[in-house]
Amino acid sequence: MAVVQLSKICKRYGSGGPVVVDNVDVTVGDGEFMVLLGPSGCGKSTTLRMIAGLETISSGTLAINGRTMNDVPAKDRDIAMVFQSYALYPHMTVAENLAFGLRRRRTPPAEVKRRVGETAAILGLVPYLDRKPQALSGGQRQRVALGRAMVREPMVFLFDEPLSNLDAALRVNTRNELIKQHHRLASTMIYVTHDQVEAMTMGTRICVMNGGRVAQVGRPLDVYWNPADTFVARFLGSPPMNLFTVPLSGGDRIRTPAIETPLARWTPAALAPFAGREVVLGVRAEDLHLAAASAGAAETGRIRGRVFAVEPLGAETLLAVETEGGTECTARLPRDTRADVGAVVDLFFRPDAAFLFDARTTAAIPAHVIPANTMVAGGPGRAGAMP
Amino acid sequence: MSADGTLPPAAGRGGFLASRTALAVVIAAYTVYTLAPFLWLATMSVRTTGEISADHYAWPRPFHWEQFRIAWVDSDFATYFWNSTVVVVAAVAVVTLVGAAAAHALARYRFRGNRIIYGVLFSSIIFPPQITLISLYQILVDYGLYNSLLGLTLVYVSLQLPLTVYLLEGFFARIPQDLFDAAKMDGYGDIEIFRRIVLPIGMPAIATTLILNFIQLWNEFLFAVVLITDPDKRTLPIGIRAFMGDHFQDIGMIAAGVMISVVPVILAYVFFSEKLIRGMTAGAVK
Ligand SMILES: Nc1ncnc2c1ncn2[C@@H]1O[C@H](COP(=O)(O)OP(=O)(O)O)[C@@H](O)[C@H]1O
Ligand SMILES: [Mg+2]
Repeated sequence: MAVVQLSKICKRYGSGGPVVVDNVDVTVGDGEFMVLLGPSGCGKSTTLRMIAGLETISSGTLAINGRTMNDVPAKDRDIAMVFQSYALYPHMTVAENLAFGLRRRRTPPAEVKRRVGETAAILGLVPYLDRKPQALSGGQRQRVALGRAMVREPMVFLFDEPLSNLDAALRVNTRNELIKQHHRLASTMIYVTHDQVEAMTMGTRICVMNGGRVAQVGRPLDVYWNPADTFVARFLGSPPMNLFTVPLSGGDRIRTPAIETPLARWTPAALAPFAGREVVLGVRAEDLHLAAASAGAAETGRIRGRVFAVEPLGAETLLAVETEGGTECTARLPRDTRADVGAVVDLFFRPDAAFLFDARTTAAIPAHVIPANTMVAGGPGRAGAMP
Repeated sequence: MSADGTLPPAAGRGGFLASRTALAVVIAAYTVYTLAPFLWLATMSVRTTGEISADHYAWPRPFHWEQFRIAWVDSDFATYFWNSTVVVVAAVAVVTLVGAAAAHALARYRFRGNRIIYGVLFSSIIFPPQITLISLYQILVDYGLYNSLLGLTLVYVSLQLPLTVYLLEGFFARIPQDLFDAAKMDGYGDIEIFRRIVLPIGMPAIATTLILNFIQLWNEFLFAVVLITDPDKRTLPIGIRAFMGDHFQDIGMIAAGVMISVVPVILAYVFFSEKLIRGMTAGAVK
């Protein structure tokens, strides 16, 4: 049972070094699965390591259950961490690896044995208890690393990209295993990844980081449908959201030679401050179609451009298009789509699938209508899977 | 190409056998080259000097085992052996413990002066140790440690420590940081991490330095001959040297003494050779 509270946490390496974690303010609730998501180098690991006690906190406060932890050494924090490299002790057997943390905590031998056996049984490690890590496959090592954390029954679990060394199939399995374990243990977990699919599928909430700062915190689908800025909009979704810098004409429409769309999601009042200025229009690749929707054809958005690449992926076909203004955009189309490179095509989208951002600050312009097709599950806990 | 499909493997097999045979011949030749002088010495150690001068290479007949008893008891080799054992075991123990701890500190902790200490250690390896001989003599005299086994032990520690730290630092630095972080998360403090993670994982490297230091010091002559004068404080190398001076004619007895002094080195190789090879071939810590 643990609430982890980060208040204005900053980190710089050395006295004159750059700020790598900048004013991070996040509270991770009890039993929550919080995902720290962001590109490589944005300070996720550093944040996690400060929570663990492996890095000092330059300024700000870290509290667990209300108790300030800044100066508590890592060994006394009752936090377990799963490392990207697994960090299994090479000179110990699986059983010894699992028991190592318990031994330290003066757990009675019988209790150690019981808990190691129990954890090994849950993770399917019983046949390997007497093996050294070198004699295990990547997936088995990963499970030992997970077991080493679980067996301690810590207040908080930390994960630093634990799946990135696994092959694709094993990654999906292990992802599901982790979700299962989170349900079973109901412990507070903080999970670092740069993979938006992991973030969307595993997190009860995600915290998107950019350049050491928190860009947005929220439930996965909330963040997906209401990105706070262009960075978050592009980071969640694959291929990333298409963005076009365009003038806002007539207050409620965009009309350029290449792009034309009404802005049905915004009230005139919301758009008034941007009249005559440039805004950034965002449309996700999966919301673009080659044919206009039959109903209300007059009210569809349209993007015109020249095809420069066709990528048939099997299940779907990606069409890369360059608009007249030179902006590139990608459409995610049905697998039977045929198009010729060099041809000029119109891509249509429902106006309520559009996003708008302030061209100067990159912040989202709030809409009063939620985007198309949103069915964000209500209530606390896990949201449904990504569509 | 396809018609010859079966040929390349056959040729490959023949090449493999040929290279294996060549390797075996080279190894056999090298073994004879290194073992022959030792066997010669061994035969002389059980022959009397008269027999040896009659025929240098003859097989011992009969075996004069009593030469060992005479060397051990009558010629004070027991004392030399004991002195060598005390000095070398103590020095190697201190060098190994202090060296491993220092190497760990240099490899793992960021502190001001870390690389300077490392640089000083490294430079003391590349200078020949003889240049310190006179100053060490003077220092030992000043501290009343001249002509004492304790003084010689301290000198041996200081002689072997730099290379030991240097070798172990290189090995310890390759132990992934994540292992230390994991042990911290598992609740262990710095000293326990050194004992339970660094020492076991570094064991191949530690065994390597242990045996190198042991052999080096067991055979050390120059510092011992300068810093020890009492006959009853002699170590084996100076004991043998003195023996040659006193009884230069007695080749058989000298051979027996040398055999006695070689036994611990052979035992060290036998017990540590596996770890030694592992330490020398260990590329990285997995
Ligand atoms: N020990 C260190 N000393 C100096 N800079 C560091 C250190 N560790 C990480 N950094 C820097 O901090 C930034 C954030 O690193 P990190 O937290 O590892 O990012 P992420 O885990 O998001 O990829 C990077 O620019 C990295 O170069
Ligand atoms: Mg990282």
